[in-house]
Amino acid sequence: MAVNQQRSEFRVADAKQYNQRSPLIWMLSHAWEHKLFLFTALVGYLIGYSAFSYARILIGEAADIILNPTTQDAVIRISVMITGVLVLDGIGSLLGSMSTETLANRLERDSRHELYISLLGKSQTFHDQQRVGDIMARATDDVRQLNFTISPGIIFLFDMVLGFAVPIIFIATVNWQLLLVPFLFLLVYILMVREYNTRLSPVIDEQRNQYGVMNAGLEESISGIEIVKVAAQEAFERFKFGKNAKKYRDLFVKQGQIEAGYLPFLAYGIAFGLMFLHSYYLYSQGILDLAGVIAIMGLMGILRFPVFISLFSLSLLQMGRASAGRILKLMEDESDIDENTAGHSGTIEGAITFENVSFGYTDEHTIIKNISFEVKSGDTVAIVGQTGSGKSTLTQLVGRTYDVDEGRVLVDGVDVREWQLDSLRSQIAKIEQDVFLFSRSVAENIAFGVPDAGQEAIEHAAKEAQAHDFITGFQDGYDSEIGERGVTLSGGQRQRLALARAFLKNPRILIMDDSTSAIDSATEDEIQKAMRRAQEGRTVLLITHRLSQIRWADVILVIDHGELVAQGKHEDLLRTSQHYRRIFARYETDLPELEAAGD
Amino acid sequence: MGFIMDGLDAEGYDREYSDGELVRRIISYFKPERLRISLVSLAVVLNAGMDTALPIAISYYLDRLQQSPETFSAVQATFVLAFIASLSWVFNFVRQWLSATSVGNVTLTLREEAMNAVTERDMSFYDKYPSGKVVSRVSSDTQAFSEVVRLAINLFSQLLIVVLLVAYLFTVNVQLTFVLLAISPFIIFTAMQFRTIARKTVTNSRRIMATVNSHVQESVSGIGVAKTFRREQMIYDEFKEVNNKAYSINLLTGYTFGSIFPILITIAGLGTGAIVWFGVNIAQDSILTAGEWFLFIQGMQMFWFPLTSISSFWSQFQLGLAAGERVFALIDAEPVVIQVDDKQLGDIRGEISFENVNFHYVEGEPVLDDFTLTINAGETLALVGHTGSGKSSITKLITRFYEFQGGTIRIDGVDIRELDLHSYRTKVGVVTQTPFLFDGSVLDNVRYGKYDESDETVIEVAKQVGGGDWIDYLSDGISTEVGERGNNLSMGQKQLVALARVLMQDPAIFILDEATASVDPLTEALIQEGLDTILQGRTSIVVAHRLSTIKNADRIIVLDHGRILEEGSHDALIAKGGHYADLYNTYFRHQSLDYIEGVGAAD
Repeated sequence: MAVNQQRSEFRVADAKQYNQRSPLIWMLSHAWEHKLFLFTALVGYLIGYSAFSYARILIGEAADIILNPTTQDAVIRISVMITGVLVLDGIGSLLGSMSTETLANRLERDSRHELYISLLGKSQTFHDQQRVGDIMARATDDVRQLNFTISPGIIFLFDMVLGFAVPIIFIATVNWQLLLVPFLFLLVYILMVREYNTRLSPVIDEQRNQYGVMNAGLEESISGIEIVKVAAQEAFERFKFGKNAKKYRDLFVKQGQIEAGYLPFLAYGIAFGLMFLHSYYLYSQGILDLAGVIAIMGLMGILRFPVFISLFSLSLLQMGRASAGRILKLMEDESDIDENTAGHSGTIEGAITFENVSFGYTDEHTIIKNISFEVKSGDTVAIVGQTGSGKSTLTQLVGRTYDVDEGRVLVDGVDVREWQLDSLRSQIAKIEQDVFLFSRSVAENIAFGVPDAGQEAIEHAAKEAQAHDFITGFQDGYDSEIGERGVTLSGGQRQRLALARAFLKNPRILIMDDSTSAIDSATEDEIQKAMRRAQEGRTVLLITHRLSQIRWADVILVIDHGELVAQGKHEDLLRTSQHYRRIFARYETDLPELEAAGD
Repeated sequence: MGFIMDGLDAEGYDREYSDGELVRRIISYFKPERLRISLVSLAVVLNAGMDTALPIAISYYLDRLQQSPETFSAVQATFVLAFIASLSWVFNFVRQWLSATSVGNVTLTLREEAMNAVTERDMSFYDKYPSGKVVSRVSSDTQAFSEVVRLAINLFSQLLIVVLLVAYLFTVNVQLTFVLLAISPFIIFTAMQFRTIARKTVTNSRRIMATVNSHVQESVSGIGVAKTFRREQMIYDEFKEVNNKAYSINLLTGYTFGSIFPILITIAGLGTGAIVWFGVNIAQDSILTAGEWFLFIQGMQMFWFPLTSISSFWSQFQLGLAAGERVFALIDAEPVVIQVDDKQLGDIRGEISFENVNFHYVEGEPVLDDFTLTINAGETLALVGHTGSGKSSITKLITRFYEFQGGTIRIDGVDIRELDLHSYRTKVGVVTQTPFLFDGSVLDNVRYGKYDESDETVIEVAKQVGGGDWIDYLSDGISTEVGERGNNLSMGQKQLVALARVLMQDPAIFILDEATASVDPLTEALIQEGLDTILQGRTSIVVAHRLSTIKNADRIIVLDHGRILEEGSHDALIAKGGHYADLYNTYFRHQSLDYIEGVGAAD
């Protein structure tokens, strides 16, 4: 399916379309975009190989001149011709090589570009599901691999094909009967290479795998060395490593052994001898002269190189195909949610309702099981539960990061699926657990959602978020750059910057994953102030560990294994929920009587 | 492989071991392989001999064919040529087969030795070498080092062919051989120039590509945020700029690398032209036969490529030696924690005493200075203080991860230096700030080190932590796979597993470095219940960050720059209104119920 057939949240006007039917076709479609270079590469290498092969014929003629000396002119002429032809070979190779480099790098640039546009067009659903590391690997490593597949991959391929074809054609021009041995050799060669690869590829794969296993085990033992030592398990860890290392050694040796037995070289040696025999036969028949024999032996000698190079080219091409496949798969992943431009729009009041909502990322595994609750506009909702209980998933259903499997999610009484996506999302802000900040200035990060915000507005938002003080504490203040080359921020500071960013956007619904640790009470005071500000005048869904936030929320939702096991205010839950009581049991308050109607 | 562009990174290595030392050492590792290596060397020489013999034989038969056709036997010629080629293949086979085995064995030995050394080192070693570096030294540097021998053999074999061929050619015609040799300085010079240019290009390109890559990574990982704020266009524009920049840089590098072979081919071509010119002239004076002339042409073909290997050899060799040095640095590292005896203590009561202990990690920066403290058997002791006050150091000395420089530490009255470390450590349980779990099931992790115990026993023990509810909360119960470093579990769940592991170990001394990371309140309740269980009946030293911990401790020690400022119970110290009260206000106040209740009352 081509890019333009997918539903997409982002489009670029002049984006090129490529044929995505299969990895090979896709790569060819990209290459075709720059067919000029494909053409010049082919021409360049053709010239190179033809020149080199023709030189063998000329060398044969020169031998003739030695045996039957003629004029000095003839000597000069043949020497100049041979030199000229070999220089032509160099020029042709240069043309071929430059063209291939250009093609390879353009392919890399274009495919990365295509991938990026495709990624931008994917829904939030898609991005939340991907591990950033995986996407990165596609965008950097796999795309780079495509480059290598062209250069030197295609070059090797040219070498292999032209390296066989051109000399053989020249052999034919000397005498077509001589094609017998080369063709037989080619046949045998193809069979041998096929068999060789069938034996070698699995070993290489296994070896690479085993190296990864050995490395991972080693990394684990060393990272956990404290535990290893307190458990006095050094000998055990060494034993584990030794097993892995031995297995790797065995595969390493096996690979070397298979590579040692690369039969095509043997076949080549024998073919060479047979070629001599055949040319002698023609010589004895008077069909071939000595110059011809010398030319033939020279041409046969050229074949040694493609036999050598085929060792590398096939694996490169294979890796390229695998990379292309992975990139294509990423691009083909469907974006589930549509923009619904014709849907309901308007200012959100902030009332949220969940009606018998069930949801799972996959069909087998349901995360949210039949949850129902109601939130009034302006309420602060604290969501409490263990990891994996479904807290984050719950919040992701509000902004249509995912669509429910069963039931409905309503915002202001309207099913979120009927809202215009843009209108809905523009009024919802999310603060993630890992706050992502760009490598740009503090001011730019705060104003990210509202690019034309003035300095006053930015500072106001920062003050509300209790971030203004520490920002002005930096040497460059609001212009300080964040990131590797700039200031490093603590978790609490990042959280407050994210709050400032959210304030500027002034959302009607704020979804916040508050998981920064409380290190010192002073910072804690600041964060509490900021969060109180954030809760004013909007509906807040808060995933938090802070008891202070839970205690005072308007609604507390306790989630266990995807089910809503308790909802209500603090005082109510202390009386009715076993789960909830356990949290506060450690504090020396006298808990109220547990009522029967609980869990 | 000896490829012309290999080993460009060899510049700027500070080395402590000399080349000679390293070479001698690598040779000593190959001693057990000496039979194989000698066979390999023999095979190399014979292979080179055959490879040289082939073109010579061809030229011989060409001459025979032309000069005395009646004595010429085509079958014989064919047979000889095919035979020589086959022998060459056989010798190459032997060489590759045996050298793969030798290199594989030597690498394995090096790896095992490195691993042995590494696991025996104490924690000061691990401060010096981050785990990533250690891992790469054991896995890849060992490989690189063993490859030095393969590299040397390769080069030797290639040069041998050249030497044999040139030697033979000298006997045929001196002048023409000189013409052939005249090309070598051009080839080598060009190759080296390329390396200089390439090195600069590669360094620049690598630096810029690192920046470009990190920009690409940022714009890829920022897509989520960009979508939230509907700013896809902005991030797209940024990306386009960066992507195009990457293209120009890579293209330049590509052109540089792509022009090497064509240029070298051209030089070789000019050389061939020269041979043709001179050769024809000499041959016309009847000193050279057609076959011999042809041999020179072939020689030119075989000659120039090995020369390019020379230019890359030295750098590759240096890289290999540098790798070896990194490996030996691991193996040769001096152990710092040294025991003078190996007394076994049997059942430890758990009384620990520090007597005038001096300790530093780095010379000149004392952490503990004349430190004295007695911890009673079964006591729960909480350590509090600012960062760098010495809290963690005390625990590290008790586990004997570091060596202290002065004073004495006694366990049950016995000097800690006299104990058998392995048996002592089984009686000390540790839970670190970020608990480390091994890839495997929760059951495996709880059991770690106690392989004689049955599954039922392990599960029974695990249930004692917080009533065992935590096991039900796991996706697969006790069989849940925790993943690499336990990443499938939350921080809180990891702590619970670590507590269960300690319970399984049943140590006399328990050390806990409380996590500061935030854990959800339900799990937190379980952890605290679990802690209650563990703290009972054993000596426990806790670097405290939880309010409940310090409130329930038998004794609290307030540390500052390695000295004890105050000690006592929580209530007594609060009443004092001194250092402890300050610390409480800074680090613990927000955990109290008063604070929680107070938040709602504010503004």
